[in-house]
Parts: sequence; C-alpha cells; structure tokens
Amino acid sequence: MSMASDNTKDLFLRIGQLTRLLRNSMANLGLEQAIMEVADAFPNTRDRLNYVVGKTSQAADRALTSVEVARPLQDTLSENATQLSARWDAWFANPQPLDDARELVKATRGYLQQVPELTQLTNRQLTEIMMAQDFQDLTGQVLQSLMHVIETVEKELINVLVENMGEREAVAPPEMENLKNGPQIDAMAEGIATSQDQVDDLLESLGF
Amino acid sequence: MTDKSLRFLVVDDFATMRRIVRNLLQDLGYKNIEEAEDGQDALNKLRASEFDFVVSDWNMPNIDGLELLKTIRLDPAMAKMPVLMVTAEAKRENIIAAAQAGANGYIVKPFTAATLEEKLGKIFEKLG
Repeated sequence: MSMASDNTKDLFLRIGQLTRLLRNSMANLGLEQAIMEVADAFPNTRDRLNYVVGKTSQAADRALTSVEVARPLQDTLSENATQLSARWDAWFANPQPLDDARELVKATRGYLQQVPELTQLTNRQLTEIMMAQDFQDLTGQVLQSLMHVIETVEKELINVLVENMGEREAVAPPEMENLKNGPQIDAMAEGIATSQDQVDDLLESLGF
Repeated sequence: MTDKSLRFLVVDDFATMRRIVRNLLQDLGYKNIEEAEDGQDALNKLRASEFDFVVSDWNMPNIDGLELLKTIRLDPAMAKMPVLMVTAEAKRENIIAAAQAGANGYIVKPFTAATLEEKLGKIFEKLG
C-alpha cells in the first residue's frame, strides 16, 4: 500500500517538474504566445472546415436531388410526344374515319396542355440547381479566412523554429512512394497525369 | 449495342460520387446498378450476388480500390469481372499499378459523361 502510494506520489512529482520545465522553456523560447494562438485558432479551424464539408455535401445533394426529380419529367414529355407522333404518322399513312381522328386530336390537346406544366416543374428544379451553387460563395469566404490564419500560424511557427534550430543540419524528408494522394492540387507536379488523355497515352505506351 | 440489363456495382466512399456515377450509368441506359461504400462492402456484395461490372474508386477506407481489384482477380469466381477504376489518383505509379493489377480501364476525376461512355465502350469492345 505504502509502496504504491509512494510510487504514485513520485510519479506526480516528476510530471509536475516536467510540466514546469516545459513551460519555462517554452516561455524562454517565446513559444508560449505562438502556442496559445495556435491552440486558439485550431478548434475554430476545425469548425470552419466542418462547415465547408457540410455545405459542399449539402449542395451536391441538393443538385442531385433536383436532377433526379427533373429527369422523369423530361422522360414523360419525350415519351408522350413520341407516342403521339407515331399515332399521327399512322393516321396520315392511312386516314381513318372522323371518330378516330377526334381521339387523336383530344390526346394531342391534352399533351399540349401538359407541356407548360411539366416544363415549369423542370424549370423549378433548374433554379434549385442554380441556387445550390451558393455554397461556392460561402465556402470560398471561409476558406480564404482560413488561409489567412494558416499563413499567420505558419509564419510565426517557422520563425520560432528557425530562431531555435541551432546548428543541426537540415535533413531531407524521406521520399515516400505513396499511392493514396487524393486529388492533385498541383497540376504542374512531376509524374502526374493531368488529363484523361495523358492517362490514356500512358496506358497505351504500356501496351494496355 | 451492349446489354442494358448488365448489373453494375459502383464502389466509392463518397455518396455524392456514387450518385453521380449511378446517374451517368442510368443516362447510358443501364438499369441495374448497386452501390458499395468501400472495398469490403463491395466484396461482400460481389460474393452475395451476381454482378457483371465493377466501377471503383481507389482511395477508400477498409479495403481500397487496388486491393479490391487484386482480390477480384485472385478469386476464380469473379476473376474475369471487368473493373473500371474511377479515381482522383493521377500519379504515373498509380496508373501503372492499376494496369498491372488487371484494371480494364482508368478514369481520372474530375471526369465527364463522355469519358465514362467512351471507356465503357472500349472495355465492351475488347471483351467482345
């Protein structure tokens, strides 16, 4: 019992000393201020990035939903027109008595009345798709202000690091052969296919 | 003319991309389209029912697209399944690795409906 509590006490004492040491050296290095700023900026940054993720996903969802609503409307218009047209062709090829023609005229009239209704519904979806693009403005602003924060933090941290680096030689980061890089931000980078054509050319040169 | 009743499995961890690919395939007349959210989910679905074609992303959790492709090629039950990679990975190493693993086609994101149609056409043409 007393052994264990002694050990615990000792452990807490050492953690306390380490913390003080760390704090003192950070203060000496002028790091405290920078760390505080970073600590302050980052939760905020995460929130903002989450906002961007949310907004973009919402917008994509909105646009896709509209497309899925509008498509069947267009299909209906097209199918009905094709059917009516075929019926008219048949009638002209072989004109029938008046009763048949009357049916056809009625169906055609119904179709014509239906066209503005359906195109209006489609138009509403097109407007919805347009409005869904408003995320660009919002996320653009948030990302711009984020870039500003990152720039500031980067500059300050690099300054602190450079001032305190001493004589140690710079070591080149190890070259990683990583196959999961996500979208290429820099189209000018080495060894990158920047278009589908380049992908096709490469595959062809390999005999695929 | 290809058979429009072919069964497609669209594999991507982003629901939006799955939806876009699904809509594009529907646009091309294909009616039977299922989705899987990563390689593991895809393998489960491929083993549980019949599919004719896989369209897969690369960078996904659990089992990635390259792993999925390799697993498909090693499984006698589905080794011959056409696999089209649709991915943002655009490094030469990626394209070569996919080709060597037996991918039937490779499309880089962002892509167009025309590209998808062309690549599908090419794959069907080669398969005869």
